[in-house]
Amino acid sequence: MQIFRRFLAALALSSMVVLPAVSEAAAKPRVALVMKSLANEFFQTMQDGAKAHQKANAAQYDLIAIGIKDEIDTSGQIRLVEQMLAQRVDAIVIAPADSSALVPVLQSAIAKGVIVVNIDNRLDAKALAAKGISIPFVGPDNRAGAKLAGDHLAKQLAAGSKVGIIEGVPTTVNAQQRTLGFRDAMQAAGMKVASVQSGEWELQKGNTVASAMMREHPDLAALLCGNDTMALGAVAAIRSAGKTGKVKVVGYDNIPAVKPLLTDGRMSATVDQFAGKQAAFGIEVALKALAAKTPQASLPVVTNTEVALVTR
Amino acid sequence: MKQALGLPLALLALVVGFGLTSEYFLTRDTFIAIANDIPALTVMAVGMTFVLIIAGIDLSIGSVLALSAGLTAVAMQSWGWNLPGAATLGLACGLFCGTLTGAVTVAWRLPSFIVSLGMLEIARGSAYLVTDSRTQYIGGAIGGLSTPLWFGISPAFLLALAIVVASHIVLRKSVFGRYLVGIGTNEEAMRLAGIDPRPWKVIVFALMGSLAALGGLMQLSRLEAADPNAGVGMELQVIAAVVIGGTSLMGGRGSVLNTFFGVLIVAVLEAGLAQIGASDPAKRVITGCVIIVAVLLDVYRNRRKRG
Amino acid sequence: MARAPLLRIGKLCKSFAAPVLTDIDLAFDTGEIVALTGENGAGKSTLSKLIAGLISPDSGEMLLGGERFSPRSRVDAERSGVRMVLQELSLVGTLSVAENLQLGAIPHRFGFIDRDAMNARARAQLALLGLDSIDPELPVSELGIGQQQLVEIARGLSGDVKLLILDEPTAMLTAREVEELFRQLALLRGRGVTIVYISHRLDELQRIADRVVVLRDGRLACDRAMAEVSHDEIVRMMVGHDVHEDEDRPRRASGRELLRVANFSGGLVRDASLAVHAGEILGLAGLVGSGRTELLRLIFGADQKSTGDLWLGGRPARIRNPTDAVAQGVGLLTEDRKSQGLLLGQALAMNLTIAHLSTVSRKGWIDGGGEERTAQQWKQRLRIRSKDSAQHVDELSGGNQQKVLFARWLHRDCQVLLLDEPTRGVDIGARADIYAELDALAKAGKALLVVSSDLRELMTLCDRIAVMSAGTLVQTFERGEWTEQALLAAAFSAYAQTMNMATDKAAS
Repeated sequence: MQIFRRFLAALALSSMVVLPAVSEAAAKPRVALVMKSLANEFFQTMQDGAKAHQKANAAQYDLIAIGIKDEIDTSGQIRLVEQMLAQRVDAIVIAPADSSALVPVLQSAIAKGVIVVNIDNRLDAKALAAKGISIPFVGPDNRAGAKLAGDHLAKQLAAGSKVGIIEGVPTTVNAQQRTLGFRDAMQAAGMKVASVQSGEWELQKGNTVASAMMREHPDLAALLCGNDTMALGAVAAIRSAGKTGKVKVVGYDNIPAVKPLLTDGRMSATVDQFAGKQAAFGIEVALKALAAKTPQASLPVVTNTEVALVTR
Repeated sequence: MKQALGLPLALLALVVGFGLTSEYFLTRDTFIAIANDIPALTVMAVGMTFVLIIAGIDLSIGSVLALSAGLTAVAMQSWGWNLPGAATLGLACGLFCGTLTGAVTVAWRLPSFIVSLGMLEIARGSAYLVTDSRTQYIGGAIGGLSTPLWFGISPAFLLALAIVVASHIVLRKSVFGRYLVGIGTNEEAMRLAGIDPRPWKVIVFALMGSLAALGGLMQLSRLEAADPNAGVGMELQVIAAVVIGGTSLMGGRGSVLNTFFGVLIVAVLEAGLAQIGASDPAKRVITGCVIIVAVLLDVYRNRRKRG
Repeated sequence: MARAPLLRIGKLCKSFAAPVLTDIDLAFDTGEIVALTGENGAGKSTLSKLIAGLISPDSGEMLLGGERFSPRSRVDAERSGVRMVLQELSLVGTLSVAENLQLGAIPHRFGFIDRDAMNARARAQLALLGLDSIDPELPVSELGIGQQQLVEIARGLSGDVKLLILDEPTAMLTAREVEELFRQLALLRGRGVTIVYISHRLDELQRIADRVVVLRDGRLACDRAMAEVSHDEIVRMMVGHDVHEDEDRPRRASGRELLRVANFSGGLVRDASLAVHAGEILGLAGLVGSGRTELLRLIFGADQKSTGDLWLGGRPARIRNPTDAVAQGVGLLTEDRKSQGLLLGQALAMNLTIAHLSTVSRKGWIDGGGEERTAQQWKQRLRIRSKDSAQHVDELSGGNQQKVLFARWLHRDCQVLLLDEPTRGVDIGARADIYAELDALAKAGKALLVVSSDLRELMTLCDRIAVMSAGTLVQTFERGEWTEQALLAAAFSAYAQTMNMATDKAAS
């Protein structure tokens, strides 16, 4: 029992999130940015961008930026939203950990007159309809972004080539959308997708999967990876197999680590969806609504942000 | 001691099974790839064998791997350290984490489960801090460890193999190994026989930390990049490999050689399932089944031996 | 009058690695107490486990009340009214007495435990053994070990019992508790319950049993009415030859002082002082719970003392922990060999050499050949029965396990040896071997301090006997001065005082 209790205590400690102190300047609207895992560099960049945006517009609003321990701690994120409501924020900009589970708590936020904006991971349309609410989505079109990279790759491949797709965590919408985008591009160009497997967004897993795919399909011409970290793993696998230059790689996210690989050609392309600006876009939509006193229901359903192909 | 046949047979069954389902599984490339893929898992499983033998557990090893690899990468990339310096720093970091886990466990008589759970978070957080949560690309700077020597076999694999053999002999033949088995069997009886278990326990955790760091360097060398999210859930994969090898979670019983077979089974399974293109859910279900069947076989074998 | 026996056993055989029981034929009548005895390893435990369904026979058959009886498990046997109380306690320490007594059949209403019904039932069960004073709501771990044993026996009496097997039920009991147990066993016999009573304590068996069954090397050596056989005959049938128990030996010549403790306090122990000299055996007598074990543990550094000074070989010494003690030539043979001595699941040889690995290793590497030779040597000298030195100690009988631990300390060659109940659960043959070794150790100039609950054992072995009572050392007797009555009176003396003090307080 003793041990079990200590275990619980440790769990509780480890999942605790320290909230930043909130300055009580009543005049300015207060916007809460509720993130997913701040351990992920993508979200880190997003938050850094939001903070920079607030600094540049310090007169207009206050920002409370918080996040959960890992990307699947759904209940932790629900708790965070409840805490933000208790602090009476004026708007919530959220990257939901789960596209359905967060809907009820966001409904109660809207009922309290808080403006809610959805970024990054789009909330499930059916779940929103069932609750009779509308939450604007501000974010990139992952499927379109992936298609950009796929189209670029297809131009370098002979028609009918075999390719493999290394997917992120398959239960996430972003992973599914990017895989769809890759498939769209390959189908349009007449390539053959020989295998789709998950590298769980990770370097080592991406490496193992890439290596196995190349063994099973010795004539594989390219690997399309759901993020750049897995693409790094794929590049290492290609080197181990002695196929550098023979198998092309594309990634997604444009992290700094892939810069040298793009330069020397070991990676053909990646996609930048300007993580640093995404949260800021979301915040701007919320601020506009607050300033114009636009009701939640009349906000535009989708605002697509910029995605761009990066090849060097 | 007679080597039980169960594990090699199970391994053979897996290899034959994948050979029949996949056209390209039974090729030299596959086995070389597996050999070059497993050094990190192997050295960590060796450390975990020792930890389980003293009836402890270390859940922090995945995080320690990420921290050590991240620290080495950052030292080389951002601080301009040379390779030996950075690698030593990484290893020292693993040694420190392990020693800390062991010392706290022993000094306050806490279950290592809890202390290492704490270390899991501390090391992971530190890994994010030192890498700024960003994947660090280092290029071929320490590629030497994973550049094939002969027949595509890397020095990392040979090093891991040497560690397996040396550890096996230490566990079987040395006074140190004998003490660990005794401590895992009955710590109080050892104390009353005049052997203070505490320093030995700290040494085992320190060793585990160092081996996790070595695993991190091996991965860093092969993947040419350090992922701050590396090794998430790896502790469970390592424990699975060790337990498949017949090491008891209750302490006092285990074999490094059998652990190596456990590692091979886990690695062949992972590579084989990826190669036949099994879906993610199917992979998980099959891996789970193999773990349970392997442990059942082991239990059955032990019961029969006792008559 | 020829009645059908309650249980008939025919041609029962059982082997593990080697045959343990061969062709056992026995019959147990309704309402008799049968003593089952024999050396450790003779097959007593195996036979009783076969009857109680814990293991199954290789061949042979059993008839219970004329019907075929082949229990597949303990629960199965219990359903037929055959119950066994094991020597090892199987109580759950954190649960209450009542919960332990009714484990598996806890009364409940709507899924909740019916505490009143449970406690009432427990009280009734405890009353069967005259244990009215035990509070059924107390956690078992808070009872003394003797009382725990009685609770274990009380559990065996729950439900409909036809045949009850008791394995060394009095090992941990005080004289008073033994009396009460015997009274209750006689009542049970009167109610028609058949009792199989396993023990090494021949005087107890002679008092209570109607019939005696002796096993030797897995075969039936004797099955006769108790009244027909003498103490010596039983011993002879157990070991196959004569055994001398010498009580009239002169005091050994003792040399210089090897161990002195002064004003030791800690835990139960208050202000204890004693000295042991080279070549002598000092006995430590007292009731269970009088602080004997605690004093040994304080000396050995296993527990921390609050005050006290210690000299070894005449020089002041510090023992902070067992490692210090062993390094300075002090060894402790613990009372509870399973939890504090043996490395269960490990080889005999490893158990034997663990406290002194430097003798069988070089530069940190174990010399397998040397270890094997060492193990063989001790195996022969102490007549340890095992297949080989690689056999796991958990497969050995209790007596042989104790010999292994004894050998561990002999091999360590300690100057001062502390022994806590060195012959507990050990058969007569092995006991004689251990006595002979202790005598040889004293003659070799070692200092021995022996705790035992068996006064005759101390009177046989020791040159002096110190008596503890309620945590203090009350009196030391020289050989020739003591009588059993005087020792007992001293053991109770401090309790009488505290009782007097309590009554004084109440009166004032």
